[in-house]
Amino acid sequence: MRTKTLLASVAALAVAPMLAACTENASSGDDGGKGADARALTVGSSADGCELSATKAPAGTLSFDVTNTGSDVTEFYLLGSDGLRIVGEVENIGPNLTKKLTVNVPEGDYFTACKPGMVGEGIRAPFTVTHSDDEQQVSASDQELIDQAQANYRSYVQDQSGQLLEKTKQFVELYEAGKDDEARALYPVAREHWERIETVAESFGDLDPKTDAREADVDLAAGEKWTGWHRIEKDLWPQDAKGYTALTPAERTTYGDDLLANVTELDGRIRATGADALTYPIDAIANGSIGLLEEVANGKITGEEEAWSHTDLWDFQANVDGARVAYEGVQGLLEGKDPALAKELTAKFDALQAVLDEYRDGDGFVLYTALEPADTKKMTDAVNALSEPLSRLTAAVTS
Amino acid sequence: MLANLLIGLREGLEAALVVSILVAYLVKTERRELLPRIWLGVGIAVAVALGFGAALTFGPRGLTFEAQEAIGGSLSIVAVAFVTWMIFWMSTAARGLGAELRGQIDRAADGGRWSLVVVAVLAVGREGLETALFLWAATQAGTRDTIGSVTPTWEPLVGALLGILVAVALGHLIYRGAIRLDLSAFFTWTGAFLILVAAGVLAYGIHDLQEAGILPGLHALAFDVSDAIAPSSWYGTLLKGVFNFSPATTWLEATAWVLYVVPVGGLFLLRTRSKRPTPPSPQLQEH
Ligand SMILES: [Cu+2]
Repeated sequence: MRTKTLLASVAALAVAPMLAACTENASSGDDGGKGADARALTVGSSADGCELSATKAPAGTLSFDVTNTGSDVTEFYLLGSDGLRIVGEVENIGPNLTKKLTVNVPEGDYFTACKPGMVGEGIRAPFTVTHSDDEQQVSASDQELIDQAQANYRSYVQDQSGQLLEKTKQFVELYEAGKDDEARALYPVAREHWERIETVAESFGDLDPKTDAREADVDLAAGEKWTGWHRIEKDLWPQDAKGYTALTPAERTTYGDDLLANVTELDGRIRATGADALTYPIDAIANGSIGLLEEVANGKITGEEEAWSHTDLWDFQANVDGARVAYEGVQGLLEGKDPALAKELTAKFDALQAVLDEYRDGDGFVLYTALEPADTKKMTDAVNALSEPLSRLTAAVTS
Repeated sequence: MLANLLIGLREGLEAALVVSILVAYLVKTERRELLPRIWLGVGIAVAVALGFGAALTFGPRGLTFEAQEAIGGSLSIVAVAFVTWMIFWMSTAARGLGAELRGQIDRAADGGRWSLVVVAVLAVGREGLETALFLWAATQAGTRDTIGSVTPTWEPLVGALLGILVAVALGHLIYRGAIRLDLSAFFTWTGAFLILVAAGVLAYGIHDLQEAGILPGLHALAFDVSDAIAPSSWYGTLLKGVFNFSPATTWLEATAWVLYVVPVGGLFLLRTRSKRPTPPSPQLQEH
């Protein structure tokens, strides 16, 4: 048994990368009227020369047929614009031999180098890869990171949506049964799941106003109805509302059932499969992170969101959680493209979290009404410090 | 001619050395019946490498640079694990020879005996794909039309094959020498030698992964003696072929080499020392 496993794993190890990463052999030689393919280049490496058939090629899968015309063993390299990073290489090209380098190259500036005798810097020349109108070629490792980020973000959204539905059910039950203290305790906790995926929830233009509209956003005079979380919030925390008339049990049931129906509908759409399935392109994930932080700046830090319960800091934390998860989903990709930005974003997220942590109280946070202007100033500064680099995220990961 | 011969020599040497030591061990411990497994492993590796090489050279699809580095790097590291296993398997199995009955050992070591096939496959297959691609390219060179200043010639193929033959001959010489040693000297010397070979393979695997950009530090060199030891010279070729010595070695490679040699070598010394005080068994003296 053990031996079979060993043999099988060795075989798999040898074959798997080939299947995963094989590439078209360029049709060299047989010139079937197609003319010379601009991505198929030839290189002649002699004792003191390195001759390329072209110093320019369109982005995509390039092949270099490297022929050793000298008498010593040679190597050929395609190097990045820094002259250090190896994009591709072929080694051990004996005299009179031709070897092929196949490599997927994005637009940019490069260097080619032949290394007769396999020592030193080699004979170098600049090489340009131009923009290609063909579908943008993404290297295998980037594609893997993208696929992974999309899958992770999808499951995060679905998980949060599931928990939102679960907690909303409990909350509505408590509220309709008149257990106000317990309902008040669950209110900010259930809403956390909404706030973490707020940018996705908001993308459903019909559901969002029914679920999360604030009183100030609703034109009651024009006959618009105010429903959802904040309608119930006002009924549970009527202290600040002058001359407020409490809802009757029947009205409670109406608003409660309506909220649960809308959250159920939202969860169904988030879980949809097939043609209706939500997609999370990499730029949407990055923009989601930016959007969630904007939510913080616009609503939470001002105390407008939870006008009656004053549990704004729960929402604040949840928005930051969601922004951070979205950012961390694309972090691997960003590290390959702009490591300095990745480092800065991680540091600023940490700094913002540190500020928020100062206002924790038990399992939750202090109420917004307990904050001094100096406290909100501190929070605003940390949010602003993060939003500037974060605004560059989408451009960096899609470059 | 010489340059292509040296490439064939270098590619063939490491495999030939590991296989010849394994064969010498089986012959010395009178387990010739296990030899077919070694040849089976060698045969599988050669057939698979030549098959893949031909498919990749003449078929519609080739390997990307990334895939080549990934295969080379990961196979190197797996090969190190197996050669390390082999060193300790040999010393354990040999130590038990005098004390226990042969049948018991053979039954106990059955899993290990099949692993011999894996060791042979890895020793030959690790560089095998690259060698096969080289050989097919050399074959193409003999049949192609003139490219620029390069005229068709069979010289690269002949050179590479001669190099492989020299490697096999050197392997055979090692075998002849090893077979004359008494068993405990055989273990001390071949074991120590194989540890250095395996450490070289590990460092080379690390270098592959650095070139592929998976590991950092490709340009942080611990030392560079390329001027003194040219990689395409015959002595550079031998050092590379036997110990995977690279004249320009990065810090990460050097660190991995030391981190392998020190504990494995230390453990190996402890085990061979602890064997000394026990008087040689009658069976061992026969050799
Ligand atoms: Cu394929």
